[in-house]
Amino acid sequence: MNRAWVVLITIAAGAAGSGCAMQAPKPWQKGVLAKPEMTMAGDMLELKFNDHTWTSKEASFGGFGVGGGGCGCN
Amino acid sequence: MQATDDGVTTMRFAAMAGEAELTVAGRAPDRRLLDAAAAEVRRIEQAYSRYRADSIVSRINAAAGSGVAIEVDAETAGLLDFAARLHAQSDGLFDITSGILRRGWDFRSGRLPEPSALAALCARIGWRKVDWQPAARRIALTEPGMELDFGGFGKEYAADRAAAVLQAGGIGSGYVNLGGDLRVLGPRPDGRGWALGIRHPRTDGTLAGVELKSGALATSGDYERYMDIAGRRYCHILDPRSGWPVQHWQSVSVIAPVCLAAGALSTVAMLKGPDAPAFLAAQQVPWLAVDGSGAIVRHGF
Amino acid sequence: MPAAPVSPNPASDWCGSVVLAALSLPGLLAAPLPAAADSAPEHALLQFKTEHYQDSQPGFQRIRVEEPALYGLLPLGEHLSLSGSAVYDVVSGASPRSYSSTSGASRVHEKRFSGDAELTWYADRSSYGLSAARSQEHDYISNSVSGDAVFAADDNNTACNVGLSASRDSINPTNDIVENEHRTTYAGIAGVTRALSANDLLQVQAGYSTSHGYLSDPYKLFDNRPRRRNSGTGSLRWNHHIGGLGATLRSSYRVFHDTYGIWSHTAELQWVQPVSLRWVLTPGLRYYTQSAARFYVDPPADGSPFPQLPDGAFSSLDHRLSAFGAFALSQKAEWHLSEHWSTDLRAEYYQARSSFRFIGQGSPGLANFQYYQVQFGISYRF
Repeated sequence: MNRAWVVLITIAAGAAGSGCAMQAPKPWQKGVLAKPEMTMAGDMLELKFNDHTWTSKEASFGGFGVGGGGCGCN
Repeated sequence: MQATDDGVTTMRFAAMAGEAELTVAGRAPDRRLLDAAAAEVRRIEQAYSRYRADSIVSRINAAAGSGVAIEVDAETAGLLDFAARLHAQSDGLFDITSGILRRGWDFRSGRLPEPSALAALCARIGWRKVDWQPAARRIALTEPGMELDFGGFGKEYAADRAAAVLQAGGIGSGYVNLGGDLRVLGPRPDGRGWALGIRHPRTDGTLAGVELKSGALATSGDYERYMDIAGRRYCHILDPRSGWPVQHWQSVSVIAPVCLAAGALSTVAMLKGPDAPAFLAAQQVPWLAVDGSGAIVRHGF
Repeated sequence: MPAAPVSPNPASDWCGSVVLAALSLPGLLAAPLPAAADSAPEHALLQFKTEHYQDSQPGFQRIRVEEPALYGLLPLGEHLSLSGSAVYDVVSGASPRSYSSTSGASRVHEKRFSGDAELTWYADRSSYGLSAARSQEHDYISNSVSGDAVFAADDNNTACNVGLSASRDSINPTNDIVENEHRTTYAGIAGVTRALSANDLLQVQAGYSTSHGYLSDPYKLFDNRPRRRNSGTGSLRWNHHIGGLGATLRSSYRVFHDTYGIWSHTAELQWVQPVSLRWVLTPGLRYYTQSAARFYVDPPADGSPFPQLPDGAFSSLDHRLSAFGAFALSQKAEWHLSEHWSTDLRAEYYQARSSFRFIGQGSPGLANFQYYQVQFGISYRF
């Protein structure tokens, strides 16, 4: 369990630290953020396929969204 | 429209008394989108043309001194508000009623105007004599013979609007060039900026280059319309207070987030003369200027 | 003529009054681009994708899955969009097994159909989605509904999202171990997405899920799991654009914990690299590690056929509840044929071993497990 918290805190601290050094973009600087690969969304069917595979082979599920429903594979 | 091997597509057309260029890169652009951007440039050109009797500018000018206030659309109201703010922030140097001074100057004649003629024109200039009611969106020129002229920023506004049309259509890479006023849509597909040149004010060559990933670059110079008399350059950028051309800078280039701001700042800087560096510093924009001796002065460039 | 070496820094604050006056005019900047917030889609999308999956353990060929699917996204005016998908999968091969060796593994050949539809409404700075989904197998039916909402801040640099879902599953296994059993799950998630810079987008989310009902595997011997399972997740996603290369690094991390006593960590990296105007390559790496469920029982090491368990004790021999770690390597190639058509191919190789684990203990003798999957898709945008 200790290791779990070490990982979490390290990542959170890294994210927070990098956030301080960066400057929020102005509206005219959002061209890059509008690129499809920069959005949090992705290829819906690819996400569905991969999620289905991983939740049926591993004990964990969820974390990035809700919905989609259950499956007898779990 | 022509496409090159590296995926850059350029469309050229004549507009705003010069050459217009739309350059986009990335995934195959839609021809209709480029046409829509070109149509937007032409729409603005016609809407604010002094030569079209039915344009909003012509209707306002026709009512000068009549006591009749003309109601304007929201877009024109926005531009008038911008002109009002620019007038205040430039200490009256940027004045959209100063266009009539061009009647005193014939740059093809090779002759200087009569001081009395210029004085008469200057008397009809003055944004303070314009009754602009932003809330009611009504405008009246209070004295006969007064004229509004959107030529001071119409081209820059059109460049921004064309860019907005392309961006709204999903184009994230490319630029719009309206007769030397440039607005960048976004970096090249490989992430690098667009290498943009600044014209040398005395030769046909390039004075300097700058790489821009976003924002706009505009240049005002004394080389667009001018005459040289007895070793002195008399150009089309006229001081509304005296009616005489600016003398201090050969050209001023400014980078700003939108072309409208870059163009307005470069014009005001030309009018500010020796005070331009302080003015531009207060506006917090990168700039590059060529002084009367041909030396380059720059900040942030 | 070479470009000036010093490039102006557009990231500096432009707070000059003339600049602000120009920026206050409407229509000069394209409609504020979505950084964190969602905006209504401008194009419709139709996509067909199919997956071929095959897994194995040493010396054993096991499950094979063929999974064709359709996805559609249709903008309905300025504020509304409808999307939906249909997935059909056929599973064939030997049934999953818990032991490293067992005689008499039965053959399976199962079909599953699942479909979902979502209606999303986009307002100025927020969007609201409602969706329904159904998954159907001959012995397992799941129905679910969910709703989510995204609210963006005025500068569109920060957005908050919330989501809720409920599902009701019916279980009627062919071996009649149980009959007409049910499982009900409620889940919720909340998160914040923030544009840290012109090149960085970060998302933090926390999720909670509670299930009750029949949660055991009816086809596994000695599978007797608690009838309630609550779980929580924390997740972090960071997308970073590297301008010089035109590439985007997409990374994510998730921690999971549940009342079965399982902890897990998942880390994933994707490198999206456009190699030309039409080609994009995306290699990916995923690492997963979990600890064992409290009631997980290793297959007996002494060779006895069945583990010794007290009557009524919770237990499971399902290796998915054991402590293990797994690596997955993937490669995706996208080909944008034209403005309308694009196609993609993705291959993934996955290997799980008890020795790959970073947390947890036990199960040293569990057989390695691996699969590969290949996805092929073609989509039409209009």
